[in-house]
Amino acid sequence: MGAASPFLEPGVRTSANSLAIVHLSRDNLLPVILQESKGEVDGYAEGSVINTRFGSFPHTTLINQPWGSQIRASIVDTGSRGRKRKVQDEEAAVEDSEGVGSATIPGQATPKGLETASSGFVHILPPTPEVWTTSLPHRTQVVYTPDYSYILHRIRARPGMRIIEAGAGSGSFTHASVRAVYSGYPKGEDDARGKVYSFEFNEDRFHKMEAEVEAHGLKDLVKVSHRDVYNNGFLVDGKSPEAECVFLDLPAPWKALPHLSRSKPAGAEQDTPWVSPLRSDRTVHLCSFSPCIEQVTKTVEVMRQLGWMQIEMVEVSHKRVNVMRERVGLNMPTDRGSNLSPYDVGEAVQRLREVESKSKEFHERTQGVENGDADVDMDDAPEAQKSNGTPAKGANEPKASVASSAKPYMMGRLIHRTEPEIKTHTSYLVFAVMPQEWTEEQEAAAFAQWPCGKESKVIGKLDKESRKREKRELLHAKSKSKRKRGKDGEAEEAGETEVDNEQDAKRSKPDPQAAASS
Amino acid sequence: MHSLVEPNAWVAIKLPSENLRVLQLTPNTTISLGKYGSFPSNLIIHRPYHITYELEDKKDNETFNRLRIVPASELYSDILSSSSFLSPDSASPSPEGDDAEDAIPTGVEYALVDADSGAVVAKTDRAELDAEARQSLTMEQIEELKKDVTDAGRDIITKLMLSHSAISQKTEYSLAKYKLLKTKKYIRRFCVLPLDVSMLDYWLLEEKDPAKIMDLREEMIGLLGCWANVHFGGESRCLNEEEQEAAANGTNTATKPEDSTGRWLVVDDTGGLLVAAMAERMGVLYPPEKDEEEMNPPQKRRRDSESQPEPAGGEGESEPQAQSAEKTQPPSGGDASGQEHIVTKRVKYPTGDPRHKDDLAVPYANCNTMTLLHHNSQPNLSFLRYYDFDNTNPTQSLMHPLARHLMTLSWLQLLDPLADSTYANEPPSVSSDELKTWKANRRGNYHRKRRRWARIRHVVDRTRGGGFSGLVVASTMDPTSIMRHAVPLLAGGAPIAIYSQTPEPLTALMDCYSVARRAAWISDPPEEAIGKTTEELEQWAGTDEFPLNPSLVLGAAMQTSRVRKWQVLPGRTHPLMTSKGGAEGYIFTAWRVKPAEGRVEARGKGRTKKGKSGR
Repeated sequence: MGAASPFLEPGVRTSANSLAIVHLSRDNLLPVILQESKGEVDGYAEGSVINTRFGSFPHTTLINQPWGSQIRASIVDTGSRGRKRKVQDEEAAVEDSEGVGSATIPGQATPKGLETASSGFVHILPPTPEVWTTSLPHRTQVVYTPDYSYILHRIRARPGMRIIEAGAGSGSFTHASVRAVYSGYPKGEDDARGKVYSFEFNEDRFHKMEAEVEAHGLKDLVKVSHRDVYNNGFLVDGKSPEAECVFLDLPAPWKALPHLSRSKPAGAEQDTPWVSPLRSDRTVHLCSFSPCIEQVTKTVEVMRQLGWMQIEMVEVSHKRVNVMRERVGLNMPTDRGSNLSPYDVGEAVQRLREVESKSKEFHERTQGVENGDADVDMDDAPEAQKSNGTPAKGANEPKASVASSAKPYMMGRLIHRTEPEIKTHTSYLVFAVMPQEWTEEQEAAAFAQWPCGKESKVIGKLDKESRKREKRELLHAKSKSKRKRGKDGEAEEAGETEVDNEQDAKRSKPDPQAAASS
Repeated sequence: MHSLVEPNAWVAIKLPSENLRVLQLTPNTTISLGKYGSFPSNLIIHRPYHITYELEDKKDNETFNRLRIVPASELYSDILSSSSFLSPDSASPSPEGDDAEDAIPTGVEYALVDADSGAVVAKTDRAELDAEARQSLTMEQIEELKKDVTDAGRDIITKLMLSHSAISQKTEYSLAKYKLLKTKKYIRRFCVLPLDVSMLDYWLLEEKDPAKIMDLREEMIGLLGCWANVHFGGESRCLNEEEQEAAANGTNTATKPEDSTGRWLVVDDTGGLLVAAMAERMGVLYPPEKDEEEMNPPQKRRRDSESQPEPAGGEGESEPQAQSAEKTQPPSGGDASGQEHIVTKRVKYPTGDPRHKDDLAVPYANCNTMTLLHHNSQPNLSFLRYYDFDNTNPTQSLMHPLARHLMTLSWLQLLDPLADSTYANEPPSVSSDELKTWKANRRGNYHRKRRRWARIRHVVDRTRGGGFSGLVVASTMDPTSIMRHAVPLLAGGAPIAIYSQTPEPLTALMDCYSVARRAAWISDPPEEAIGKTTEELEQWAGTDEFPLNPSLVLGAAMQTSRVRKWQVLPGRTHPLMTSKGGAEGYIFTAWRVKPAEGRVEARGKGRTKKGKSGR
C-alpha cells in the first residue's frame, strides 16, 4: 500500500505527486497533480507551472504547504517560452546545463528564486468528492452532490460495506461512494474492507476511470471493470462482490436487474452455477438513477417481479442560494448594484416636495419678473429659499455622510434569492431493498431457540393513562428503596445509587418507550 | 448493522397504515399492534429485517398468533396483474373520448383476485364514478366481523367489498383504491425495519416532534455529511503509552495535529440525531457485531436473551466484514496488549476496577473522533439511546464505539476552561496505602472523580489545540458566534457545513463573507486589525463592520434541497398529492483557509495592463 489517497487522508500538507485542488473562484476549481520537477518542464525554468487568470503558480510553490493556504502568484517568464524552446532545440546542451543550474529549486520549501507577482493568489484545497464533482473532466452526465449525498444516505453506504456501481461515467459517484464505504486500506488478501465495484461499458471511459483511480491512490479501494452488465452481470473474476449497496446509472436498468438476484433468475443459462453478487446475509439496498419517467416505470415493474421491496421513487430538487445586499434609496452611492429610487414613501414624498418647490421657485422667478410686484417678491423669496433650502439640505447631508462613513457592504437590506440558473431535473431516483433469504430450516431453528407461548408482558398496548400510572408507581417504589438504602451507607454519594438508578431505568425502559410510540 | 434482529434491539414496525411503531424487542413479551393484532416478540427475534409478515390464525393448541412471511409476488399481486391488464391496452387507446373519466382506460375488465384461491372476488366492466359510499354492511356488522378476524383480515376485506352495492360501478382505479383503503385498514401485516439513522429521522419527522430535530430532513443530513467530508477517519487506536504517562504526570500534552486525522467538531441541537448521523458515516455508531455464524443455524448462537452484549472474542478472522476486522484488532494500539486487558476488565467491572494507577488514562481514540460542543452543562444526546449509548451513564460500556470516539465539552470549557470547576479543580491524589483504608464506595467515588477530571482535561486540552478536519453544525444558536470560536480550531482546508431551519441566520453569516467585505478587509483593513499577525487575526473578536475575519474562510455558499416522492403504479405515476411542509432547511458550506502572511495583492491579469505593456 502506498500513501493513502488525498481524498481520504489528506494529511496536513500538500505533497508531491498527489492531487490537490487549486481554488480560483467558486465555480472555477482546478484539479492538479503536484509535480516536483527538476529542471525545465514544458519550457518553464521553474518546472511545472499552472497559469491562471490570477497569474502563474509554479508547482514548487504549492508543494508542502498546509492545506488551505493562500498562495501568491510568482513572476514566471511565460512570454519567452516559445522563443526559448526554439533556442533550446538549437543549442540544447548549453541551455540545458544553464537551465538546471538557475531554475532548479533546492529542497521543496518555499522557493527562494521566485519573486511574488502582484497579479493575485489562489487557495489550495484538499480534494473531496464535492470539490472533485465541480472540477472533474466531464465524460458523461455527472451525478451531483445533492443527488449522491441523498443516495448514499438512503442506500446505507457505510464504512466497511461493498458497493456495486454500474455506469462509472465521470466518476463523481465513485469518489463519493469510496469515501462512504472506506474503512481503511486492506492489509492483505483476506482483509476485507469497504470497497467499490465499478462497472463501465464504454472502453474509453473505462481506461480513463482506471487511470484516475490509480492517480488518486484509490486502487485498493475501487475495482473498475470493463463490462456489459446487461449480459455479463456483476461478478468480478467469477467471484461475488458480496455487495450490500447497489447503484445503477444505466440507460436500461431493468436489463441489469436480473443479474442482481439472490437466486437464479428464470431466464438465466442453465449450465452455469448461479453466484449472486449480493451479500447473502444482509438486506441489500439499491438505487437506480434514470432521467426519464418511462425508464422508471419499466424498472419498477421489473423490480416488483424480481421481489424488490419498499420500492420508492423520488426526485431531488436542489437550489443554490445567492445572498446579497439590496441597496435601494436616493442616498445610495451611485455604483453598480444600487437602485437609486426612493427607499420608502417618506423619501419619495420628500423628493416630490423638493421638485415641487424647485418648479415653484422657477415659476415665481419667471412670473415675478413679469408682474413686477416687489412686495410679493420680497415676501416670497426668503420663504421660497427656506422651503427650498431645508429639503435640499436634508437630501444632500445624509448623502454626503452615508457615502463617506458607511461602507457599501454595510448598506441596504440583506436578501437571498435562488441563483439565476437551476438544475430543475437531474434524474429520478428509484430505491428498493432486497431482504435476505430466510429458509424454513432457519425459521425452525430460530423458533426452537426462541420458543413462544411464555410471554409475560405486553408491549404497545397500554393507553396513556395506565402507562402514566404504572410509571408513577415504579418511581414511587424506587424512591422508597433509595431511602432505605441511604441509611446504611452514608458515604454513598453517587457511585452505587447511580448504577442502581440506571439499571432500574433500563429495566423499566421497554415499557414507556414502546408505549410512547403508539 | 446486524444481519438479524437482535434481542432487545430497537426496531421500527411498519404497519399497513404506513404508521411506524418504534419499540425495543424484549424477548418473551407480546407485541401489540393495536387493531392489527398481537404476536410474541420471540417470533421476530433472530429473523431478518425488511421482511413482511402476516399474522396467521391462532392454532387450536396455541395461545399466540404465528407469523407467515409474505412473498413479494403476493404483495405485488394486484399491481402486477393490473399492469399486465394495462399493457396491451395502453398500446391501443380506447376509442371513446367523450368525458373526462375517459383519460383512464375504460372498458377493461378489472378483476379482484383472491391471492390464495385465485377466485375472482369482484369485477368491473364499465367505468362509472360514484362518490357515494354504498356499503350495505352496517357498523354493527362490521364491528362483529372485526372481532373475529381470520385469514389475516383478508376475509373481512373481501366481505366488505362484496357487500359494497356499487362495486360493479367503480372504475378499475377507484376499485383498486377502495381495495387499498380497506386493505390498509384491515390487513394484519407488518414489516420489521432496523432503526438506523435514516429510519429514526423519518420516524421523528413524520410521527414524533419534528421541531425537536430542527426539521432536519434526510437530504439535509446527507448534504451536511458530504460537505463536511465526514467519513471513516483512519484506523482507530487509543492514545499510546507515553501520552498516557504524560497525562498521568499531570502534563497533558496536546497531541500535535500532525499525528491525528479524522477529527470532527460538531454542534448539535437536534438531541443527538446529527451526532448519530455523523457517527454512522464514521462507522462508530453501531456496537461491534457479535459472533456471526450467519450461515449456520441460529441455535449455535450461545448468547442468552437476558445477557447483556458482551465483548466479543476474536473469532472472526474469516468474516467478510470490516467491523469484525475492527473488532479483532485491539482498540488500543498494536503495542499495548496489556491495555486491552484492562479495557475488557473495565467493561466487566465498570465501577471499582483495580486500576488505581490508570485513573488518569483516557479512553478516547485519537483519530476518527467527534468532539461535540454543547451549551448546557450536559449535552443533550437523548436519541443516542436508540443505539444503546447513554452519555450520562457512568457505567456506559466502553465496548460501544461511541464511548471512545465521542467527546463532549461545553462552550465554557472551550472558551474559559479555568472557570469550569470540573476542569480547574484536580481531585487530590491519595496514596494507595491510604486508599486501602477507605471504604469501598468512598474509594470508588475517588476513582470516578479522578477519571472524570482526566477525561475532561484531555478533551478540553485536545480541543483547544485545534487541528480539526471539519465542522458540522445544526444549532439554534447564532451561526456567526459559533463560527467566531470554531473556525480557528479547524485545520487548513477543513470543510464547514452549517444547517439552519430558516435562511436568515445563514444569510447574515454569508454577508460576513461577502465579496465586498473580503475585498475591504485586504484593501482597507479595520483599525483593530492593523499591525496584527495572522495568528492574532485568527482570534478576531469581531466588530460591527467585520463580525468575523473574512480571510479565514473561502467559498461561502448556501443551498437548499428537497426531495419529492412519487407514486409509481402502472398508468398512475405522479408525484404524491401531499407531503410534509415545515422548515425548508438551508445549508451553509465553506472551507477553512490559511491567509498568506502580510499584504496580498490581487490585481488580476487585466487585459488593459497586457495591452499596454505587450502591444
